Amino acid sequence: MEKKDIIQSFKDSLFTGLIALALFGPIVGLRTASKGEGLFITPQWGVVFLLVGLCILGRFLINLNSARKTEITFFSKFTSKFSAITEDKAKHFAITAILFAVVFPFLPFTDRYFMDVAIMILTYIMLGWGLNIVVGLAGLLDLGYVAFYAVGAYSYALIATTFGWSFWICLPLAGVFAAFFGILLGFPVLRLRGDYLAIVTLGFGEIIRIILINWYEVTNGPDGITGIPRPSFFGLPFKRSPDEGETSFHLFFNLEYSTMHRIIFLYYLILVLALITNYFTLKIRKLPVGRAWEALREDEIACKSLGVNPTNTKLTAFAIGAMFGGFAGSFFATRQAFISPESFTFIESAIIVAIVVLGGMGSQTGVVLASIFLIGITEMFRDLEQYRMIAFGGAMVLIMVFKPKGILANRKPTILMHGDKK
Amino acid sequence: MSNLLSVENLTMKFGGLTAIDDLSFDAKNNQITSIIGPNGAGKTTVFNCLTGFYKPTNGQMFLHQEDNKISLRKYTDFKIAYVAKVARTFQNIRLFPAMSVLENLLVAQHNELMVASGYSLFGLLNLKSYRDKEQLAVDKARYWLDIIGLTHRADDNAGDLPYGDQRKLEIVRAMCIEPRLLCLDEPAAGLNPKESAELNKLLKFIKTEKQTGILLIEHDMSVVMGISDHVVVLNYGKKIFEGTADQTKNSKEVIEAYLGVDE
Repeated sequence: MEKKDIIQSFKDSLFTGLIALALFGPIVGLRTASKGEGLFITPQWGVVFLLVGLCILGRFLINLNSARKTEITFFSKFTSKFSAITEDKAKHFAITAILFAVVFPFLPFTDRYFMDVAIMILTYIMLGWGLNIVVGLAGLLDLGYVAFYAVGAYSYALIATTFGWSFWICLPLAGVFAAFFGILLGFPVLRLRGDYLAIVTLGFGEIIRIILINWYEVTNGPDGITGIPRPSFFGLPFKRSPDEGETSFHLFFNLEYSTMHRIIFLYYLILVLALITNYFTLKIRKLPVGRAWEALREDEIACKSLGVNPTNTKLTAFAIGAMFGGFAGSFFATRQAFISPESFTFIESAIIVAIVVLGGMGSQTGVVLASIFLIGITEMFRDLEQYRMIAFGGAMVLIMVFKPKGILANRKPTILMHGDKK
Repeated sequence: MSNLLSVENLTMKFGGLTAIDDLSFDAKNNQITSIIGPNGAGKTTVFNCLTGFYKPTNGQMFLHQEDNKISLRKYTDFKIAYVAKVARTFQNIRLFPAMSVLENLLVAQHNELMVASGYSLFGLLNLKSYRDKEQLAVDKARYWLDIIGLTHRADDNAGDLPYGDQRKLEIVRAMCIEPRLLCLDEPAAGLNPKESAELNKLLKFIKTEKQTGILLIEHDMSVVMGISDHVVVLNYGKKIFEGTADQTKNSKEVIEAYLGVDE
């Protein structure tokens, strides 16, 4: 690289630093603290300079990287190695990952906190896989996916608390309800694409949330629904002291009572649900309807000219995507035992879309990596409180800079004429 | 030779602009009918009316079957290809670029495969009946790929093919729906002479071997004159001449429409 380029990129980084200073100066630098009677400003110039310095350094490294044209930074090396692994040995990688997920609860370092994070990551992976059908395969940008998550959670909660039916009956019902809402959303947006579709689906997500807040008689409004039944292990509840005539899990298996039992059960439950979602998506992608989804994403007019019914194709994508959102919602409800509209805000939709897009549209493994990366990083920085969203944003920027098409952006044909060449 | 398509008094108006003005013509089975004319003459509009993308202001279009005729006006959108079996290609190629060549040809057989897969149910259960049907679909795709010489690239992305191959692929993709009428919108645009000659061969093959009539819009006169059985000349939405290729070449009206009139 020439000296001129270095000077140029250094100048550019200084300019970036200037912008960073203008942004962070007032936002981070001036902190109000209440002392005695009034509010006083406590400056934090040290933190500001640290942040500005990081911005300058980061920009400089990015410039250097793009000037050399070859990707040699640690991050891109890492991800290109990663894509190589998943490309060549996709099967091995998947089996290893699943095996790791299966033994994870019994690893020595796994404690309650790790389990909670793992359950959360798995929930997002499942949501990501569900949305991948709509966004990744059918190419319909859905910014209101959380609506189906909410419908699933509320259907489960309402059915379970009203009729007292078991989790395994309520789960499919919640899925059916969510799929129904998927079709309900699908109809008005059939003719829309791209930005327009995104706006309408965003609105749909908000409509569902606002209905949940205001329909007090049914949804209990902002107070939410409490006392949602916990799932039982084939009829054996996870309780310290079971009711009269009931056997609980630890008594049946002659174990010491531990709250971890339920957590581990929930972990396996979401793991199985997520894997079903994945298996289903991988299967249906290779069926005519899956190919029609992808064809619709590629060119809708060409689809019509070949006699593919775009209405049915889009509606099935919406319905099936929504159904898996509904399953994930019921799991969320039974895990929390309490749900309120607050859990289903736009930011949830945004995170799920981010996972799908950053993972690489349509890539199942990409969703897993993006979930671990985004949710994991955000969790790691939980101690930083409100600053942890910076970590979330930072993770997104990193992926966008080094992998603009998503972590894994390679598509494998659904059917091969000449078999696998490798 | 029996009539395949008859267009009667077709008129299409966009606001104050009359794109097609009282156009009538016939196309026959196993013949290539070309529609030619200067730019803006309304050729593509005729196609868009025939294939259900536009609803004509006036007039009728009939597709003749063995003993009855069906009105194309009744079918819009995807039903033109699905029910009436009228297929088309586009002036600017519309393949599914990120899907493989084979997948492109399978999407064209979507409706049969959908039924075979029991609307996905049999497919999810991986029943043999579905797998057999899928194999048949792959065999059909292979048959067409052999004809255009692209079998070795079946698993590559359609978008990665050279331009001329993409044109040919789009035509055989349309043939995979087993159409009764195939409408080709400027298939030779952007092809070099060698590729044009190959295209002629392909169209002649379809004409003689398949029960398909071809309707062709084309500017490349070597293609039009080389393979057309019948030529319809449009200018400003009106039919100014109709006849065989040789008659068209020598027609005064056609020469005037293309080259202008001596003052």
